[in-house]
Amino acid sequence: MSIEKMEFVNISGPTKDLYPVIVKLSECGCFHMETASKMAGKEKGAPTIKEENPYTAVLKKLSEISARTGVKFESTDFSNAADKEASDIEAYVDDFKERLSVLIERKRTAEEKLASYEQALNQVTHLKGLDIDLQQIFSCEHIKVRFGRLPIDSYNKLPYYDDKIFYFTYFTEEPEYYWGVYFTPSFCAEEVDDIFNSLYFERVHIADFVHGTSEDAVEELNAMIDENRSETEACGKDISELMAEEKPKLDEIFTLYKKRHDSFDLRDKAVITNDKFYIIGFVPKRDSDEFLKLFDDMDGVSVLMQPADANGRLKPPIKLRNNKFTEPFSMFVEMYGLPSYNGINPTTFVAITYTLLFGIMFGDFGQGVVLAILGALLWKFKKFSLGPICVRIGISGAVFGLLYGSVFGYEELLDPVYEKLGITFLPFKIMDNVTTILIGAIVIGVVIMIISILINIIMGVKNKNYEEALFGNNGIAGLVFFGSILVGAVATLFGAHIVNAAYIIILIVLPLVAMFMREPLSCWVKGRKFHMEGGISDFIASNFFEVFEFLLGYATNTLSFVRIGGFVLSHASMMLVVMALAESVSAGAAPIVVVIGNIFVMGIEGLLVGIQTLRLEFYEIFSRFYSGEGVPFTPVKINYDENIE
Amino acid sequence: MNITHRSYNATVAKVRAMYGKRVSASDYSELVNKQSVSEIADYLKKNTHYSEILSSVDVNTVHRGFLESLLRRFNFEMYLKITGFERISKQEFYNFKIVNAEIDVILSCIRHINANSEDRIINDIPIYINGMTHFDLIEIAKVHSFEEMLALLKKTPYADVLKDEHTDSNGKVDYSSCEVKLRTMYFNRLENYVSRLAPQEADMVNSMILIDIDLINVINAYRMTAFFGEDEKTIKEMMFPFCGRLSEKKQTEIYSAPDAEEFIKRFSKTYYGRQISDSGYDMNNLEDNANRLRFKYAKLALKTSSKASASVYAFTYLMGVELKNLICIIEGVRYGIPAKEIEKLIII
Repeated sequence: MSIEKMEFVNISGPTKDLYPVIVKLSECGCFHMETASKMAGKEKGAPTIKEENPYTAVLKKLSEISARTGVKFESTDFSNAADKEASDIEAYVDDFKERLSVLIERKRTAEEKLASYEQALNQVTHLKGLDIDLQQIFSCEHIKVRFGRLPIDSYNKLPYYDDKIFYFTYFTEEPEYYWGVYFTPSFCAEEVDDIFNSLYFERVHIADFVHGTSEDAVEELNAMIDENRSETEACGKDISELMAEEKPKLDEIFTLYKKRHDSFDLRDKAVITNDKFYIIGFVPKRDSDEFLKLFDDMDGVSVLMQPADANGRLKPPIKLRNNKFTEPFSMFVEMYGLPSYNGINPTTFVAITYTLLFGIMFGDFGQGVVLAILGALLWKFKKFSLGPICVRIGISGAVFGLLYGSVFGYEELLDPVYEKLGITFLPFKIMDNVTTILIGAIVIGVVIMIISILINIIMGVKNKNYEEALFGNNGIAGLVFFGSILVGAVATLFGAHIVNAAYIIILIVLPLVAMFMREPLSCWVKGRKFHMEGGISDFIASNFFEVFEFLLGYATNTLSFVRIGGFVLSHASMMLVVMALAESVSAGAAPIVVVIGNIFVMGIEGLLVGIQTLRLEFYEIFSRFYSGEGVPFTPVKINYDENIE
Repeated sequence: MNITHRSYNATVAKVRAMYGKRVSASDYSELVNKQSVSEIADYLKKNTHYSEILSSVDVNTVHRGFLESLLRRFNFEMYLKITGFERISKQEFYNFKIVNAEIDVILSCIRHINANSEDRIINDIPIYINGMTHFDLIEIAKVHSFEEMLALLKKTPYADVLKDEHTDSNGKVDYSSCEVKLRTMYFNRLENYVSRLAPQEADMVNSMILIDIDLINVINAYRMTAFFGEDEKTIKEMMFPFCGRLSEKKQTEIYSAPDAEEFIKRFSKTYYGRQISDSGYDMNNLEDNANRLRFKYAKLALKTSSKASASVYAFTYLMGVELKNLICIIEGVRYGIPAKEIEKLIII
């Protein structure tokens, strides 16, 4: 449950060995590569390698084939392809692309025809009811006829043109349009066409497809559509067969070229001087021996291992180490941001608190078990990353459900079991213990906050950040202040008179003063001189408001945990409503109400509680000790899922 | 209960729900990067609340003018939907958009008459409001002279306003004077209707209207100073005679500025000037940023108001801005203006 220790690696060797070295690095899966020019002394004049990648062209062609056919290439054994000459491979890809293009073009032509016939059919359908041979209309010598559709708004403007010679009539209508025809004498056709153009009349040129009446035309077009649809399907089948036949070969070429391409790209991160290459990066310490062995057979290549912080310019990358229970929760930590290399891995803390808080709020044995099973299934079949988390928090919910005596909303179901076992203090009835639950929620909050402050103090001391560790609101001063207020309040509540002037001055006022003066005090501890920027008034004003914000923060953060109690009660109340509804319906319908009610409450409450717990983690806990500024450990590898654009 | 003093909470909720469907900032950034009017129409059809009105439109062949006219009609239909929701359209205040549209049609006719244009004015007429208007839109589109127009408007409130206007020897009429008179009448009527609302509601709507007038006046005065070098007297004659947060004294001070630079300097010391500065807008781009300020006020009014009158007024303005934004994008894309330039003109 820590952060993986890293080694800083410096690899150098003759330029001729650069490519084989990069291939080894991309295959080992444990090398986080950095740009070598970042190294001190290498910024100026250290040439990085900027060459055009010779493998891009073939990959682009494969990518195009994939895009046009929808077939995705997969990584496979490429030993056959590796034996072939690059020119043969390129010729094969070109030839395949050509064969495919012929088929695709045939299909496209058929599809275009199909689309135009379908469009024509759609247009002619709107002329149904016009029981005249359309060819006869078009052959009129002195009358011009235009079919098409006119926007309804434009139709309403036609009275404006009542002095013009035309006649418009419509057959059918659709939203915004009238489908119809206008007739106008040939001598004024130009002017009328102009008017209709200005009215956004969309003319349909249907003469090529139309013979006889509109019914005849529909029949004819349907036949042509069937013919072209068959042709389209036949072309599609030919393309699929061709792809199925050649895919194994193409997969090999893709894998080989993708590997060469990505490895070649990694050369950009290397630096070459005096015919020697330099590569830098990080390797997990536990893999360093295996890593060194990779280069045993390469005489000219030297690998130098140094401590992770050997180069001050490079932040060591972060790889979290977790056990099986906590591993799924690393998703939440990564969502917030990774810790710094010298920080702590908070995944265990998150795993425990998240599981616990969710269980408390979601407590129902039946629903918890269902959630755990659902999570397991989602993980098994869909690899849904929240699945394993659902298993853990589902079990937690089930355990707390047992304590509350709640099974799918039936609050009395476990009573006889506890009676038989002779356990008198269980089940812990939620609705009978509202005050205890709310106070308990605050106690949990206080404990979590104190633990978070303690972690911050430890981290602060470890990193020599005394301002934070000793005098900050999440440091010793804050802990003493917060603790004293709590202890004083509880003691007063129980009648113990420990709060006196000395208590207030030493345990409350003094920590406040320390927080107020945290910057000068921190300088004093470090032995440095404190420079007051902006003058005394600025110092007092800014620190006053910051301390005031700290005070507010303690109160609001503590009260924020009341939501735990709130959700316990809301879960129980929602199930009470479901049960009341079930009782109010007939005996036959009651089980349906209970099932639907349970699903509803599980969905709504599960989501709400999940989000609220995450909120508590991020805002009330992480904000006290966690900065999330680490760089993720990303070992170089060939990504076969990514296409070349 | 006096019907005017009802709260119409459902209308307020409806307005907010409809505003929630507006074109978002991310939609705008998608739209400005489109390459053609067809692509814009396609995006609007698939991703925005315009999808219904564009449902039967063939985006591949749609004409720019037709697309714009559909957007305009949708804008008007939203207004009808809201005012018809609890039948508030029966109250005179809520007819403001129709009155405004009527004035636009009349002014369009006057421009047409003055230009002695052969173009067909009918193409610009919002025919979908015919039947809701005081006069027939087809008939007004046919008029060829100012006298014909006055005869047509005889029984409408506009006849009285325009009766003192006379044509010159070329048959032209003073357009600016007509506009000031018509818009002043519009604002007067609006103020009159607002005064019949419940006092608190009336105050709220009144202040929104006065902010609008103030900023329209400032924009017009700025144009007259910067582009035409007009003096204070001429400017004052062309202003709407209302004072919101700009007192008469303040107005006189700004309008008497000798040039654009001084105008901006004096304006920057006013309430609105300070608001523009506080909002981080560039004072030198006064016209654009005064409109942004109007937009900001309207958004705030919509967010905070629980009264239908204020909500409807603000919503109508905001949707008007959305319409202008879309038309601006359509025109920009059509003329090949770079996306970044178009983006600068969008008010969000």
